[in-house]
Amino acid sequence: MALFPSSARPWRVTRLQVTLAVILAAAAFLAVTQIRNELLIRQQLRVPSQRLEELGFTLQEMERNRATLETQILQLRSQLHAYEQGAAQGREQLEILSKHLERLRALAGHTHVAGPGLTVELDDSPLPLRPGDDPNTVILHYTDLQGVVNDLFASGAEAVAINGERVVSATGLNCVGTTIICNAKRLAPPYQVIAIGPPEEMLAYLERPDSVVQALRAFAFPVKITKAVRVGVPAFRGSYRFTHARPSGPFE
Amino acid sequence: MWLPIAGLVVGIILGFLVSVEIPLGVVKYTAIAILAAIDTILGGLRAQLEERFDLSIFITGFFANTVLAALLTAIGDLLGVDIYLGAVIAFSIRIFGNVGFIRRDLLERYWRGARQREAAGQASR
Repeated sequence: MALFPSSARPWRVTRLQVTLAVILAAAAFLAVTQIRNELLIRQQLRVPSQRLEELGFTLQEMERNRATLETQILQLRSQLHAYEQGAAQGREQLEILSKHLERLRALAGHTHVAGPGLTVELDDSPLPLRPGDDPNTVILHYTDLQGVVNDLFASGAEAVAINGERVVSATGLNCVGTTIICNAKRLAPPYQVIAIGPPEEMLAYLERPDSVVQALRAFAFPVKITKAVRVGVPAFRGSYRFTHARPSGPFE
Repeated sequence: MWLPIAGLVVGIILGFLVSVEIPLGVVKYTAIAILAAIDTILGGLRAQLEERFDLSIFITGFFANTVLAALLTAIGDLLGVDIYLGAVIAFSIRIFGNVGFIRRDLLERYWRGARQREAAGQASR
């Protein structure tokens, strides 16, 4: 069976066959190389070459992510270093600072305090109202309470509480109906004002002529002042909020 | 006729002996080019069996198809469309067709030969 009918002419056949041989050799070489490469890729990467592009894209993205993460790590490390240095330096300062903070808390009224002082008890007048009388004459007003507190502070009180409500720098006394509001809490009579400070001086100042206490007594309000070796004043339960005020230097 | 087969064998052996690293980016191109080459060789075989083989057509077809396939793949890469899939399908269909024709030609040849032998046998008797 002659596959090549032109075998009758030897020269042509030779040239044809040589050309075919070369082409086939080239094709076979290419195919084998390709197969070997593909096998190598699969062996080494365990991934068929079709997915390489997709995976390459993912790799690029990951590398970019890693770069940003590495810069983050560097930043965080330098921060940590700074903190560590600060901690080493600040350990001694920290004790001083915490003492300072304790003092400031006491000043601001954030701690319970106890010490010598006195208690002032005030109540509405027990006199019965006659028809035509102004009821305001028998009711204690916030101004009376404020006056007593002012007198106490003026005579050296360091901590004052009205019915368990600490009087601090942000405390305002106000009248609402027959009750008095202190630190946004309603107070009702009888009022018990506790003050820590020099008892003798405070008592003398409260009992001085024309004082608030004398005026109240003149209007038949029961006022009872008792000295104590040790009284307790509770901490301020509210919080200071500074939404408008900001710390600043001397302002002109 | 043994020379082309010898060439094929030499090519295979050469491929195993010489290890050429094809870069990862080019693997796709060479794959499609090989497909084109196989198609052309099968086409040539079919033409040979149908006794209308022409060397110049075969050679030009071999190179043109191979280059065109690689080019198509490159264009597809540039456009971001997998055009090489189209080339793969086209070449696969052609390979199937060629193999079918080759099978039919070989069978016809065998039948014709059998008939001739039969006739020769009858004549000699």
